[in-house]
Amino acid sequence: MGQPKSAVIRSDLDIVIARTMARDMARALGFSAIDQARIATAVSELARNIYLYAGTGTVTVREVEKLGRKGIEIVCEDQGPGIPDIDLVMQDGYTTSRGMGMGLPGARRLMDDFSIQSQVGVGTKIVLRKWRS
Amino acid sequence: MESLRIPILKIGDILIASIQVNLHDASAVQFKDDLLEKIHATRAKGVIIDLTALDLVDSFIGRLIADIAAMAGLMGSRVVITGLQPAVAITLVELGLELPRVITALNLEKGLSVLQGITAESGDGAA
Repeated sequence: MGQPKSAVIRSDLDIVIARTMARDMARALGFSAIDQARIATAVSELARNIYLYAGTGTVTVREVEKLGRKGIEIVCEDQGPGIPDIDLVMQDGYTTSRGMGMGLPGARRLMDDFSIQSQVGVGTKIVLRKWRS
Repeated sequence: MESLRIPILKIGDILIASIQVNLHDASAVQFKDDLLEKIHATRAKGVIIDLTALDLVDSFIGRLIADIAAMAGLMGSRVVITGLQPAVAITLVELGLELPRVITALNLEKGLSVLQGITAESGDGAA
């Protein structure tokens, strides 16, 4: 297994760095071109959420394995304001003035596994996985 | 950080911009502003935005493209998006962003003929 890679999100340029890092790892792990695009797009959405709502945070990508199946895991963490109502933000079309209402539900559709933990005033942690077919 | 400028070319009364770089948010917004200014300055009837080289369109860029098409439309200019890669089309639809009001064409050549058809139809073509 390769080493995990991390990107710190502080600006919109870091969004590009994070999604490029995720795409490079997905390619190295043998994901198809379409899955590489799905993974990079999901990272782009979540890194932008960190930038817009928390200001700073980190995106970490690593190789994972379960029952002999290889995959990629992406962990997005911030110490931002947290999400008061997770069910609400997971609805399609829900948006604050700054987003466009597809970041979280869109990222969930693009990936296989999606989990989110968030506490108001503490931060948010989102874990995504995609398994190689 | 200064944003990267995307060149906008003029051929007759059509503008062509080909996005070749991995866009970050600020350079995408800069492109929108530059393009609308150029439409105003040149009175272009149509615009082609070629995305052949883009391997990723997330919701931010997707929404910006829809906004550019709507804004250019208000100014009397039509926008055609060309060359979306299969992986980009798939992720856009899975994201929930189908861009129903944006005119698209397979490639630059087909995009040009779509635009010529539209401008001729609206009666402001060659006549």
